[in-house]
Amino acid sequence: MATDRVSEPTPVLAIDKLEVSLFTRRGVLPAVDGLSLTVAAGETVAIVGESGCGKSLAALAVMRLLPEPPARIVGGAVRFLGRDLAALSDREMQRVRGKDISMIFQDPMTSLNPVVTVGDQLIEAIRRHTAVSRREAGDRAVELLRQVRIPDAERRLDDYPHQMSGGMSQRVMIAMAIACGPQLLIADEPTTALDVTVQAQILGLLKELQTESGMGLIIITHDLGVVAETADRVVVMYAGRKVEEARVGALFERPLHPYTRGLLGATPSAVRRRGGRLVEIAGSVPALSDLPVGCAFQNRCPDVFDRCRAARPALASLLPQQSVACFAVEEEVSRHAAAVGT
Amino acid sequence: MLALAADFIRRFARNRAALVGFVLVIVVIGIALSAPWLFPRNPLRIVGRPEIWPFTTSRFPLGTDSLGRDIAAMIAYGARTTLLIGLCASLTATIIGISVGATAAFFGGWVDELLMRLTELFQTIPNLIFVLTIVSILGQKIEYVTIAVGIVTWTPIARLTRAEFMSLRDREFVQACRSMGMGNLRIMFGEILPNALPPVIVLSSLVIAGAVLFESAVSFLGLGDPNISSWGRLIGDGRTLIRSSWYICAVPGVAIMLTVLALNLVGDGLNDALNPKLRDR
Amino acid sequence: MRRIVVRRLVQIIPLIFAVIVLNFVLIHLAPGSLFDVMTSEQQVTDPAMLDQLRRTYGVDQPTWVQLAKYIWAVMRLDLGFSYRQNAPVLQVIMEQLPATVILMLAATTIALLVGVTAGVVASVRVNTIWDNLISFGAVFFFAAPSFWLGIMMTVLFAVKLGWFPVGGMRTIGSGHGAFADALDVMHHLVLPATALGLFYAATYARVMRASMLEVFRLDFVRTARAKGLSSGRVIVAHVMRNALLPIITLLGLQLGTMLGGSVVIEAVFSWPGIGSLLFDSVMSRNLPMVLGVLVLGSLLVAVCNATVDLLYMRLDPRIRVR
Repeated sequence: MATDRVSEPTPVLAIDKLEVSLFTRRGVLPAVDGLSLTVAAGETVAIVGESGCGKSLAALAVMRLLPEPPARIVGGAVRFLGRDLAALSDREMQRVRGKDISMIFQDPMTSLNPVVTVGDQLIEAIRRHTAVSRREAGDRAVELLRQVRIPDAERRLDDYPHQMSGGMSQRVMIAMAIACGPQLLIADEPTTALDVTVQAQILGLLKELQTESGMGLIIITHDLGVVAETADRVVVMYAGRKVEEARVGALFERPLHPYTRGLLGATPSAVRRRGGRLVEIAGSVPALSDLPVGCAFQNRCPDVFDRCRAARPALASLLPQQSVACFAVEEEVSRHAAAVGT
Repeated sequence: MLALAADFIRRFARNRAALVGFVLVIVVIGIALSAPWLFPRNPLRIVGRPEIWPFTTSRFPLGTDSLGRDIAAMIAYGARTTLLIGLCASLTATIIGISVGATAAFFGGWVDELLMRLTELFQTIPNLIFVLTIVSILGQKIEYVTIAVGIVTWTPIARLTRAEFMSLRDREFVQACRSMGMGNLRIMFGEILPNALPPVIVLSSLVIAGAVLFESAVSFLGLGDPNISSWGRLIGDGRTLIRSSWYICAVPGVAIMLTVLALNLVGDGLNDALNPKLRDR
Repeated sequence: MRRIVVRRLVQIIPLIFAVIVLNFVLIHLAPGSLFDVMTSEQQVTDPAMLDQLRRTYGVDQPTWVQLAKYIWAVMRLDLGFSYRQNAPVLQVIMEQLPATVILMLAATTIALLVGVTAGVVASVRVNTIWDNLISFGAVFFFAAPSFWLGIMMTVLFAVKLGWFPVGGMRTIGSGHGAFADALDVMHHLVLPATALGLFYAATYARVMRASMLEVFRLDFVRTARAKGLSSGRVIVAHVMRNALLPIITLLGLQLGTMLGGSVVIEAVFSWPGIGSLLFDSVMSRNLPMVLGVLVLGSLLVAVCNATVDLLYMRLDPRIRVR
């Protein structure tokens, strides 16, 4: 991984071996187990995985918005422009949220306060971090609504959330998120709850805003179509661990990890069975309380062998700009290298 | 059915507050039932010096009142009155409430509309004022007080019954009964009611608590049956002596409070045990 | 919006109509005829008055005519004549009504301030000692009869400590201007309003706690935090704003009970409102007055209910657009 970056400025976000655990009645569950990833300015990183793989918890951990019982950060660091967010006090973190890092969530219809007007919620976000009068904040709010392509912006300020469609509500959420010019925006399943027709518009909007401001963008999704459209780099997670990371083109062209291949339906047998892309992988994600010894994917993996059941594969950069945690792939690559004589 | 009941009892037992309440209720019932043995003589007889403070002599553990009557005896007999009236009033309210609610839900349409307006009417009329009106018209006898209290407390039961009925009415098993040719009344009472009963029973326990408070207010004001000694009446009688012997008012009040408290704890416990989905977090 | 207001207020009419009919039924349950009741069993002696009453209530006419005449009389705000005060029922009630309204307003204010605050604190510090203490307090004040609380408070704060007067609304002979009078009334108001209000404070505390805990889990609270708002602002501007809505509904439902509760409290503290009036009337078998209090009390509750409903509509934009 060190070879990927020659001389780069401090990444906007550097998650370093983050560990988040859930303290439940059934025991302590490792929901995020040693996740590391970076996001550079102007870059879009997609985090992909099935629900329950820990991607949302990782994002909430960055924002320090974890549901405190039962979740807690138990290890690692989250460095934003060099500063470890996990070590900040509540007060200090409140100054970071909404201003330096923003987050939008999956269901925009329930993510806005139903008894306060859209305008007031926007103005609140603006005035929290910028010292402006209410009037100025109102003007800025209109500007923001125009920026996210909401028609008739001035009138919309007095609307209540229930008077808006899903797509429009999500635009309002985006407007609130970019109100103070954050350097990083985290979008947790931003289009999952929206109509297909609206999805493309929202994703397009996010990319545009990113280009205009140069902010880093993290998109969390389970939908590979979204990944293809928006990401520069992709991180694949499974059962709380990162199993593959690659540039988007490389991932789609030659996915290495069996799980990624399964997601993309690129295993030869899958291609034969159906011509489409997204296929179901047999079996289901193991419960966090029931993780097997060794690789978490072993019970669903077509390429599993004994080493997989004995130890956890570590992330290895087997190809330039692509790392994978899989013994089978390691063996395959070294066999290939030996054959080619490298 | 039996497994459900055992599960229910287990959930109830896990709730410490509810258990405390349950024990208290048993104690009160025990005192009420055993009053004639604990205090064989008429509690209204004068048995000692007036205005003896509680906890000062072992003969009168709760002291004596302005005339020299044994407060402990009066409390024990008062428990009988209080519980009796509470139970009867609650029963009246439950019968009225279930009838109104079930009929409204089952027949729907204008019947429902009419009965809901009726419910609204009884919710608007100030409760105690209505009870006092009835008592002043019909007279200060224990039967009238009981019925009056029952008449002002049926509305929440009607609402709950109606809600439960409405959710059960459209289920398949009712359609099945109807297609078998079962008459309306039979369906209502034989099939739907047994399923709708549990939450209504829970509410009834809270209604008993309300009835106890109502009755004590009425007898405190001196408008209850003059031949019956109840806790509220004891408080009312002791009002003139609050400067010197305020315990005469305090003791019966504590009794009322503990009883109502116990009933509420039990009612809450039953409610929680009935709705387990809200428990495990 | 105005149409909604009018529509809601118009709904009161059939309700009051029903109360009046109920009154009529109750009168007929009493021993004696309608005339006997309305003249308080011939304690009214003025012949002119007796004549007028005969005409008003249609003596010796069929029942349904009597009913119609009775309804008409009440609609004209003629609630009968009270021999005890030697004045029309309506007039007597209106003279004493303000005292009860003041008492109920004060009790509601105390109930809301104490109850809502306690509920919020308990929910923010859930499962700590504060939460347990508040929950215990709520259960205690919910179970204790309010008149008994009133007496105990009188013993402690009035008799033993002497901080507050034992009863009444004003100190006799202290007429030094409006401001001093207001202070005097407030001084007398503390104990009765607190005794009346604590029961409702307990209910509001419990409901508020539950409501806050529910709202805490909703998505928009997470959004508010994600905006970087301070926890205080999140709690007040976002959580409470939503959590208060069920309390408003509850407030409406409790008004009928509170009016009844004020009857007992007024008796305990000799507070000169319609509660005391009712108590006195029941004792002296002054039925026209009792029924008059019933009708006007119901009207008061119906109006308050309508007001609360409209207030709720104002606060929850989701149910406004119809």
